[in-house]
Amino acid sequence: MSEIVFEIKNLKKHYEINMGLFSKPKIIKALDGISFNVKKGEILSIVGESGCGKSTTAKLMLKIEEPTSGDILFEGKDITKLEGDELREYRKKVQIIFQDPYSSLNPRWKVGQIIGEPLILNTDMSDKEIKERVLYLMDKVGMLPEWYERYPHQFSGGQRQRIGIARALALNPEVIVCDEPVSALDVSIQAQVLNLLLELQEEFNLTYIFISHDLSVVEHISDRIVVMYFGEIVECDTVDTIFDNPQHDYTKKLINAIPIIN
Amino acid sequence: MNLLEVKNLKTYFHSDAGVNKAVDDISFTIPKGKTVCIVGESGSGKSITSLSIMGLIDAPGKIEGGEIIFDGVDFLKLSEKQMRSVRGRDVSMIFQEPMSSLNPSYTVGYQIDEALRLHQKHLSKSERFDKVVESLELVGIPYPKEKYREYPFKLSGGQRQRVMIAIAMACEPKLLIADEPTTALDVTIQAQVLELMNKLQKEKGTSILFITHDLGVVSKVADEVIVMYKGHIVEKASAKELFTDPRHPYTQALLHSIPTPGVTKRKSKLATVDDSVDYLSFPKEIR
Repeated sequence: MSEIVFEIKNLKKHYEINMGLFSKPKIIKALDGISFNVKKGEILSIVGESGCGKSTTAKLMLKIEEPTSGDILFEGKDITKLEGDELREYRKKVQIIFQDPYSSLNPRWKVGQIIGEPLILNTDMSDKEIKERVLYLMDKVGMLPEWYERYPHQFSGGQRQRIGIARALALNPEVIVCDEPVSALDVSIQAQVLNLLLELQEEFNLTYIFISHDLSVVEHISDRIVVMYFGEIVECDTVDTIFDNPQHDYTKKLINAIPIIN
Repeated sequence: MNLLEVKNLKTYFHSDAGVNKAVDDISFTIPKGKTVCIVGESGSGKSITSLSIMGLIDAPGKIEGGEIIFDGVDFLKLSEKQMRSVRGRDVSMIFQEPMSSLNPSYTVGYQIDEALRLHQKHLSKSERFDKVVESLELVGIPYPKEKYREYPFKLSGGQRQRVMIAIAMACEPKLLIADEPTTALDVTIQAQVLELMNKLQKEKGTSILFITHDLGVVSKVADEVIVMYKGHIVEKASAKELFTDPRHPYTQALLHSIPTPGVTKRKSKLATVDDSVDYLSFPKEIR
């Protein structure tokens, strides 16, 4: 439990916005020197309001974008320096589940193809082996085998999110970044997907980095929480401390703003 | 005293595939000065109910039957022209997306002024200007006189929603329909907007029909709650009754599916709305 998978040190990401020919470019500090660790087998949530830098953090950890400065160490290695086979290996180990199950699946592909694509690209499995693996994954996320030949539009939002989860699991990853995985879903469907994520985490010993603005969900699912505000981390602690004894004023304000049924 | 009485409303959508009964025979009332919440999941018919009240159902949708009685007048018997004078004056509406429901090419002040130009023709230009500035002030926009001339893109999401509220409240309507007004906003901003609506209701005595899927929000704003499921009302209750003693199995499932900090055990399996259960087979409209 205490083994560290990710170590993030003084990470910065600045975007330059061109203000026109004769003006100096404006610099937006999306991330301004953040540091935190992710331990093996935990669910670490990153919370904060729009524009606080939580999605930027995820993009940098997934190597979708490069940081301005700072280090991201994955199992001791700096991911910004990975190339070739090592990078490919990294991409297999760290997967993502997206927010919007409507726009993140290719509408022209069948469910079987969508889930199997990572296997075709990254392994030398035969077609038969791939199909077996896809059917196994579909079973794991609670989908029926006869859905293999269907298209995404034939499914509801919750079912589509299951397709995304199966695809993320295809390559036996160690870490899954969940970027607002339930915020586009109805509350009852949200509960199903949260239950599924927790079951899978236990079964496959996964580490989740859970990005969300919904504090009720975060409280339910997390081991530790990082609270971000305008590109900085204001507090990083266990779920108990954050919710029962928050230290920072912003954390207090955020927790008090949750509409709770009493 | 009831401001609005909806009786046996049926709104159906016709297509080649058949008839979709989006709202199927629902009845409810909204008392003066109170907030009634409609909760339900996507497709339950909650938004169609509000659009039916506003008279904004277009083909292939059609109101098949029922009555919508507002202050003694049946909206369904009014002509389109008469409905136009009702909308924005007696009943107005705020939508979910403050980004897309303001016109990007007109100033904020102009858009609030529009409601006054249409419905309060006796006011002079300078009187209207004062009223717009006053309404911006009322919804908590700083520097209202300067903001009159700003375009929507310069405002944050929370401020745009405040402007939407200002437009809706400009003519002091008797009924405000708010369709998921805070869903697109951050939690801290959401809290501010809910507080603002509460304050305006107290000052002006407006009735509010609040549509949302967020039961946490319901518990903060509602006097009475209507739970909708597949076009039907499955339960009607006061907010207090609904949260302490939900009677309908669907309401119970819905309430237990939300993780509640301090109540739900962390990482425990959440209850779900079971697809295999036909919730409509239980007695409807409990209470």
